[in-house]
Amino acid sequence: MKKIMSWLMLVVTLSVALLGGFAQPSHAATTGTEDSLARVKAKGTLVMGTSPDYPPYEFLVNRGGKERVVGMDVDIAKKIAKDLGVKLVIKQMDFDSLLVALETNKVDMVISGMSPTPARKKSVDFSKVYYKGGQSIIINKADKGLYKDKDSFENKSLGAQTGSIQYNLGKKQIKGSKMKGLAKISDLILALKSHKAEGVIMETPSAQAYVDNDPDLAMINGKFDLGSGENDTAIGFKKGSTSLVNAVNKSVDEITQKKLTKTYLKDAGTYMKTNTHNTSMWHYSGYFLKGVEYTLLITIISVFFGILLGILFALMRLSKMKLVHALGVVYIEFVRGTPLMIQVMFVYFGIGLFINIPALIAGIIAVSLNSAAYVAEIIRGGINSVAKGQTEAARSLGLSQRQTFQSVVFPQALKNIWPALGNEFVSLIKESSIVSIIGVTDLIYQLKAVQTATYKGVIPIVVAMIIYFILTFSLSKVLNHYERKMKHDA
Amino acid sequence: MPEEMIAIENINKKFGDTEVLKDLNGKVEKGQVICVIGPSGGGKSTFLRCLNMLEQPTSGKIMFENSDLTSLNESQINQLREKMGMVFQSFNLFSNMTVVENVKLAPIKVKKMSNDDAQKLALKLLAQVGLAEKADDYPASLSGGQQQRVAIARALAMNPDVMLFDEPTSALDPEMVGEVLKVMQDLANEGMTMVVVTHEMGFAKNVADEVWFMDGGVFAEKGTPDQIFEHPQNERTQDFLAKILEA
Repeated sequence: MKKIMSWLMLVVTLSVALLGGFAQPSHAATTGTEDSLARVKAKGTLVMGTSPDYPPYEFLVNRGGKERVVGMDVDIAKKIAKDLGVKLVIKQMDFDSLLVALETNKVDMVISGMSPTPARKKSVDFSKVYYKGGQSIIINKADKGLYKDKDSFENKSLGAQTGSIQYNLGKKQIKGSKMKGLAKISDLILALKSHKAEGVIMETPSAQAYVDNDPDLAMINGKFDLGSGENDTAIGFKKGSTSLVNAVNKSVDEITQKKLTKTYLKDAGTYMKTNTHNTSMWHYSGYFLKGVEYTLLITIISVFFGILLGILFALMRLSKMKLVHALGVVYIEFVRGTPLMIQVMFVYFGIGLFINIPALIAGIIAVSLNSAAYVAEIIRGGINSVAKGQTEAARSLGLSQRQTFQSVVFPQALKNIWPALGNEFVSLIKESSIVSIIGVTDLIYQLKAVQTATYKGVIPIVVAMIIYFILTFSLSKVLNHYERKMKHDA
Repeated sequence: MPEEMIAIENINKKFGDTEVLKDLNGKVEKGQVICVIGPSGGGKSTFLRCLNMLEQPTSGKIMFENSDLTSLNESQINQLREKMGMVFQSFNLFSNMTVVENVKLAPIKVKKMSNDDAQKLALKLLAQVGLAEKADDYPASLSGGQQQRVAIARALAMNPDVMLFDEPTSALDPEMVGEVLKVMQDLANEGMTMVVVTHEMGFAKNVADEVWFMDGGVFAEKGTPDQIFEHPQNERTQDFLAKILEA
């Protein structure tokens, strides 16, 4: 009963978090004193959010098997942190999660090649502009004769990062363009190469980086009609962080005056060269290993809690007490009726409003809670599959309800549901990959990191695919072994 | 003065609107063997299952060793169930345990007996039903007759005061009925109090102290085997026996 109460509490907390999420902006606006700078200084760290797939702004390098985020934006962030006298912490995530991360205090600032558009300014404060790029379009070298500028792409399909300026530019300024939005630049390049898109719009420095490192690509000037801010790059802050923005602007002024971006870009170029120096997958085995480690970690912990909670929810659903039964039903149906991806984002960003949970923990919580609902249904089926006579025999011997469940019903149910449960574990290995969207460095995340670092699209996919298969296949083998062991009847 | 073991007082049982048991009364004395016979659907099994509260009577009392089972809470019922062994038509051996584990389970879990003691007890009881060599087999590899004998040993392991048998031979192939009846007869000879729902008229005739004929949810007639089988008074008893003898 105690457990059930604490679950009730969680449900309540979740709903409050949900409502709080909507109420948040107005609440923040009414806060009297503004302490964003003081808070950063108090905790001694400046957390930068970035999507490191955008060389030369930010990208990953392989340093002795370990990955590091580098690039112009990182150099800028380092300078800012140094000027403020705090430590820089880099948090990686998808580009379209960055603004949410700002809103929910996951990060103090976003430096990710982001342009301060009027639309973004509504929800985010920006620093002064630290770099003026331009918008270019990357195409396959073979098509070089076909395309001149943006107008050549009328009625053609074009790629851009989801939630980016480039996406909107393509949509608004190219007649009849079919825009393809993907979260990662590396995936866009892959789409380009496989002719899913005829061109990819990105900022000139990034485009240059890709073209320099991939002989199959070429770039053209987009000649977009660039309004205010769309050519610029600035640093994003949570709305109302005036003191922090002012402090950072001092650093930006210095960067502009001393033309430091030039040096930063040169550094980035060097990194990119060393990156593409050795693009064998073996060189990146550390990346994949780390990915496997996290994928397994998430899966194993989630399986454990998934089963524990699954038993609890199954028993709740089987309970004769109406309220307990109803709670079980509501939980199971709700979780099964919403996508895991949304649950992951909800736990990380939604609950994160109240308690700061690291991405890994948030991912594990979401995957565990999700799995629990499915496991509960499997277990319920298993319990129902145990003949009533087994329970009656146990009860007639004087065993209590609990002893009967533990010694007789559950072991038999487990045997009956083992194949279905095994299926759930196997799919958990694969489905846990969704946590990569909040920046957990699982296998999928690392796959994208390798793609970005090596400018190779397909080979990392093949490697990841093989690794996933090895994982799931070995797990199946282990599960089969135990299935045979439990088989007592012909 | 015979000692009273079970007293059934005005037991009624309804499933929804259907009256399955109607105002039953009866007494089981220590050491007695009661055989309950009658046509299928007459309420025999439901009656037996009411005795250890696997079915809750709708009204009435069941006095067992001076407590009214119908008035007890869950854990008190558990305690009294230890003293009432039950053998089912479909054996109901725990399929996830070996034969010896089946027998040991309740002594260990309920009586908190040590594993060693429970093992000794189980092997002794398995020897008593002639199945010591099957101790480490799983139930699925045993014949029906063997499974039912294990089920009897399992019930005996709790050292019950009374044994309830719910058509223990009905699910068996004919050639296996004898081995189970033999074990039951031995038990009766040792003085075990038994309530047996059965279609084995030969067993009822030879072993029972009293035969209760049940039809339509009532005890239509009660008496010694001689009275019931040789001089039935009730018309329904006569009909039933005539049909059985024809077959």
